[in-house]
Amino acid sequence: MNLLDRYIHEVGRHLPRKSRSDIQAELRSSFVDTLEDRFGQDASEEQTSELLKEFGQPRDIAASYHPQSQYLIGPTLYPIFRMVIWIVIAAVLGAQILAWGIGIFVDGDAFSVWETLASLVASVPASLGWVIITFMILQYFDAKPDLENQPWDPTMLPEIDTDQEIKRGELIVGLVFGTLILALITLFPQWVGFITFPGGNFYPNPVILDYLVLIQVSLLATILMNIYLFWKGSWTFLTRMIKLGLDAFGVVILAFLIQGHNAWLAANGSTSFTISISLIESNNWELVGMHAFRLAFVVAFIVTIIEIFATIYRMVRSKMASNISAKDFVLKVE
Amino acid sequence: MMINNTQSEQYLKLTQELRRGILVLAALSQLEEEKYGYALINSLAEKGLDIEQGTLYPLLRRLETQGLLQSEWNVEGSRPRRYYVISPEGTQTLEKLTGEWREITHVMEKLLAGIANKGE
Repeated sequence: MNLLDRYIHEVGRHLPRKSRSDIQAELRSSFVDTLEDRFGQDASEEQTSELLKEFGQPRDIAASYHPQSQYLIGPTLYPIFRMVIWIVIAAVLGAQILAWGIGIFVDGDAFSVWETLASLVASVPASLGWVIITFMILQYFDAKPDLENQPWDPTMLPEIDTDQEIKRGELIVGLVFGTLILALITLFPQWVGFITFPGGNFYPNPVILDYLVLIQVSLLATILMNIYLFWKGSWTFLTRMIKLGLDAFGVVILAFLIQGHNAWLAANGSTSFTISISLIESNNWELVGMHAFRLAFVVAFIVTIIEIFATIYRMVRSKMASNISAKDFVLKVE
Repeated sequence: MMINNTQSEQYLKLTQELRRGILVLAALSQLEEEKYGYALINSLAEKGLDIEQGTLYPLLRRLETQGLLQSEWNVEGSRPRRYYVISPEGTQTLEKLTGEWREITHVMEKLLAGIANKGE
């Protein structure tokens, strides 16, 4: 009987405490009934083992009694869980990027790209962890979203999202410019800089040259994505994620560039943020040029951050449209 | 070989799915007199319906939770056994399900009439 005891004990380990002993008792009595019927009063260890094999894995037996307890987050909660996950990711990313942006402009010197990236890497999984824990608890108490009693009305179906369509014109312009710039900085890196009108002197931009490889990688990846988009004709979840990643990558490079220009300008004696009249009057065209570059990068930085927000917004919106609308967000615990 | 395995696996699943629906009706039909689990398995098997223990016992509990069966432990025999019997509510459900079943088989007979000889 030793083997049967172990089996029954093992089944019990996978059962909820409430019904455990009762199910165990019934299982034992049924098993012994079967055993006696087949092998008589004194069944051997081998015969017991043979019959146990027939019964099946303890885990499977327990699962057949309580199918819903096999889920960390069950099928009833899963659609809401997925929606919440996207909202949380968007909110956390949005808040981080916002804090990052404010940090750069309000407190220019106290900002570090790596620190911000590290905090992003830490905060997203942590927030997702809390969402998962919350839903695990809801699952444990068998909470059910209050969806069934809501009458379903076909006219309330969300409109088909035209945002999914790509704008080919924009794409072509982006492709042409992207390819031109990539070709230019790859074939003629010595020309990366600026020429002054009055004297016609050429000044290379040392900061851009420092980050040339990163810029090339980013441009190339964007071009490849645009070609893929052009071929596919519409946005998908995956391409939006890739776009988000590339934009984030772009923001990092731009942050490096701005930081580099800050450092260069500070080292060359210009700490002000804007191009002042006195600077232009001083005829120090190298300084003016670097200022202009920094300004352009700051604009690009802001635009890319807005792009990121827009992409996140579109992703959440299409998720919400394809899942459940927020008004269905009522949970009841039974 | 691979294809054959997948096919037979798929066939097994389809059969299980087909049978799953009738198990409730089958169990209810045999519980007008109280029976313990293993006795019910035997009585179903005698009439030609083989059902795995791991399927039947959880099913009986589910039907009890739904109020279609009643159960109690009986300690009089050689060992304690849990006896199940159909409840008044279960009897009503059994009647309705039986009617439903007759209708389904009637319709299915008609649907399968054209290919009847192939399955035999």
